[in-house]
Amino acid sequence: MSEEHFIVIGNGPAGHHAAVTLRLEAPGARITLISKEPHGGYRPHLLPKWISGNIKEEALYVCPVEEYKNMAIKLRSGQKVVALNPGQKELVLDHKEVLRFSGLIISVGGTPRIPEPLLIFKDILFTLKTLEDARVWREEIPRVDSVLMMGGDLTSLAVTKALLGLGKKVYFMVNEEAFWPLRWSLSLFEEMSHRLQQKGVEVLADQRVKGITRKGDCDYEIQIGRQTVRVGMIGAFFGLTPDVRFLAASGLRLDRGILVDEYLYTGFKGVYATGDCAQIYHPALRDYWVSVGHDNAVELGRTAALNLVGNTVKAGAAGKCIFEVQGIKVNTSWWTEF
Amino acid sequence: MGNQIRYSVEPEDFYYMDVNVPCQAACPAATNIPAYIRALFEGRYDGSYSINHMANILPGVLGRVCSRPCEDKCRHGEPELGRPVNICHIKRAAADLRRKAPPPEPGPLASLGKKVAVAGAGPAGLAAAHDLCTLGVAVTLYEAFEKGGGMLRYGIPEFRLPREVLEEEIDYIAATGAILKTGVRVGIDVPIEDLLREHDAVLLAAGCYRSLRLDLPGEDLPGVYPGLEFMMQVCAGKPPSIGNRVLVVGAGFTAFDCARSALRLGAEDVTICLRRTEEDLAVTKDEAIETKTEGVKIASLMLSRKILGKERVEGVEFVRTRPGEKRGEGKREVVAIEESEFVLPADCVIVATGQRPEPIRLTVGKKGEEVLKADPDSFSSSMKGLYVAGDYLTGPSTVIQAVGMGRRAAEKIIRDLTGKPFREKTVRMEETEITDRKRAWDYVARQEMPTVQPVPERFRIPRTEVETGLSPEQAQEESKRCYLCYLHYEIDIGRCIYCRYCIDVAPRDCIKLVKEVKTNEAGAITGFTETTHWAEVNAIVIDNSRCIRCGECMRVCPVNCITVTKVELTERTAQEGKDHV
Repeated sequence: MSEEHFIVIGNGPAGHHAAVTLRLEAPGARITLISKEPHGGYRPHLLPKWISGNIKEEALYVCPVEEYKNMAIKLRSGQKVVALNPGQKELVLDHKEVLRFSGLIISVGGTPRIPEPLLIFKDILFTLKTLEDARVWREEIPRVDSVLMMGGDLTSLAVTKALLGLGKKVYFMVNEEAFWPLRWSLSLFEEMSHRLQQKGVEVLADQRVKGITRKGDCDYEIQIGRQTVRVGMIGAFFGLTPDVRFLAASGLRLDRGILVDEYLYTGFKGVYATGDCAQIYHPALRDYWVSVGHDNAVELGRTAALNLVGNTVKAGAAGKCIFEVQGIKVNTSWWTEF
Repeated sequence: MGNQIRYSVEPEDFYYMDVNVPCQAACPAATNIPAYIRALFEGRYDGSYSINHMANILPGVLGRVCSRPCEDKCRHGEPELGRPVNICHIKRAAADLRRKAPPPEPGPLASLGKKVAVAGAGPAGLAAAHDLCTLGVAVTLYEAFEKGGGMLRYGIPEFRLPREVLEEEIDYIAATGAILKTGVRVGIDVPIEDLLREHDAVLLAAGCYRSLRLDLPGEDLPGVYPGLEFMMQVCAGKPPSIGNRVLVVGAGFTAFDCARSALRLGAEDVTICLRRTEEDLAVTKDEAIETKTEGVKIASLMLSRKILGKERVEGVEFVRTRPGEKRGEGKREVVAIEESEFVLPADCVIVATGQRPEPIRLTVGKKGEEVLKADPDSFSSSMKGLYVAGDYLTGPSTVIQAVGMGRRAAEKIIRDLTGKPFREKTVRMEETEITDRKRAWDYVARQEMPTVQPVPERFRIPRTEVETGLSPEQAQEESKRCYLCYLHYEIDIGRCIYCRYCIDVAPRDCIKLVKEVKTNEAGAITGFTETTHWAEVNAIVIDNSRCIRCGECMRVCPVNCITVTKVELTERTAQEGKDHV
């Protein structure tokens, strides 16, 4: 067995494909894939279709858990990394086990972002990031006739589509908090509103929530500007906050996500970040950008793995899914598919 | 008979305190944090306030605006232990819940027949005046503004620090005998030479009131305000016109105060522009969250290059930055990324990138002014009898740093005036029983500070204090979370039978089988060489830097060979020439 030990943190699309690519590129290496979630990898972009009943649960999974064994990838599911020392090349798991590595790919993804002004309502807002979140949606949806969607990220539009398919009344509130990592613009708002209205969604203008009153079980009254809306459920879709708090003392350069160059390199030898926890400055774009969406995550996962084993592959910022609004570019398919 | 108490001024005991009571070591005023948290837990609010007051003079103020270096070092915040204790807000709870009466003072001692003038009634000047008065010195405080408090009154908005809280604690200081003369500008209205002639010593603690400039094109356009001047106008009730879109350049408390004040003045779109990232902010995380909760946006990795506009400001041109290498233990370098320019529009730009001291005229008749320099350890300037402290000496610091420095300067002045020390730091050691702290308390959730909700209520009356204070129940619940690191656990290896029950119940690697104890030149324990070979074991020790004071080891010990000593860094009257007993 080679002494090389590659660890991938996070088993989302980027992490999974990073691990698989490492397996192909470094056949003799020991590979460990660490995931917080207690099951194998799945395709989060299909969760809205599962919510609407269009696909079965089995279709969500990337592969059976046994497949990791066949690929000689050690899957540590249900385990959480709590500290990282990239200089010493070791990390600490929440049960205090220390793991050492020769190469590391961080692909921890993000947690649903709730803008600070809405934090006081967080207990009544439904988000959708994990399989567990999706189970909650599946339980709640049959009990409600209407849903207020707040935000405007990729998932919000897929969920809206699912809700319309189930015959639910959908209100959609778009404000300037909605678009991170995109910046708010009137043209973006107008185009998005137009598409939503065409599908029968009631779009609420750029307003802030003044208050939410729980009137009963699955019954909420929301005051938005001078308007009042009454719905059975409220979804919050403001993108993801990279889940990098555990790295605060690591010495990695952090902003919203982990700051990396166009090769996804963190500045620490053998340590790369990828997927939607990586914040990348791209000279061609003249700005930082973040890649969201399943296809991009897969591509970035592969890129990080290739670079970890010695290649020099640039993260693609101008792929087929590049989306541009007022000079700010996001590598995503986003709502153009809606 | 009470428990035996010993005092030590040995270097190894101070080293022990630095390593094992990290919160107190991190506090620039060396506040005995475990002691005041324990007092609050026991419902002794007055006592808790007094323990604070002994060290930091302004507990009610600091319970609101402290930068909380202690919480960064709190052992409860270590990776596998959760989040730091909400130390600052426990301090505030003690101030809120006590009886509204002045705390007991250590003096005043009999008059020493000495007079000291303190220039500046901000936190450093107030702290120095307090200590000098309680040691028997006649103190006159000269304050340039209308009222005392310095930056606390003129630089911090009322929604963070209600003025009645400040005034009450200034009154306590005045009650020690300090005479406050306001509206007097030292160096202008009163020459320093006159003060030196009329007093035995002069302490200059005049703060930093000159805002730093960006030195960029367009900075003098109407609508561009220096941060501190903006805040001073707001605090004086005469805010400038700012329009709807406000950009605040800066990353410290002043920048955040400016941004939150701008919202209260009616601005609809306020953005704080950072050269670095949110990770590098000088403000507390709570402050950043509250600021965003109110609607301020925080934008990172951008460096202002040009302020744009014709008749008045219309926007700012920025370039993107990336974090460079770390400078020593400090912040990272900021590296501008060329050809990444972009413009953000603005009706108003507030530049809050720091302050520096006002130059002062030192000699009557002599032309020119200068910023007085002094030795940061002795506070002495080149002029005999003239000392310098606080932000004037160091540049902008925090309130707790200024308080700590003011107190140290007072001690130095009195030592120079009388030729002898009056107070000294000492480590007080008292045998104690096992605490009643329960292991389950390690899992108590951090009690967060309640705030005015919904957010628009904060803007209805802009002076409304945003943080409403912990309830007695919340404060007590939070106080349970403190590990009480001032308790020192020790195994008497002469009585230990090496059954290792204590190791079995230890919640982390805090009890060790060692073959060697490492010490430094002072004799302080600096580490252990552990062994897993029974034949090499020379001792079984409790590593107090890892211990979370759960008491489980004592409970299971079959031969009662584990003792607990309360060790506290305290002050006492100097014992020069006396035995330390």
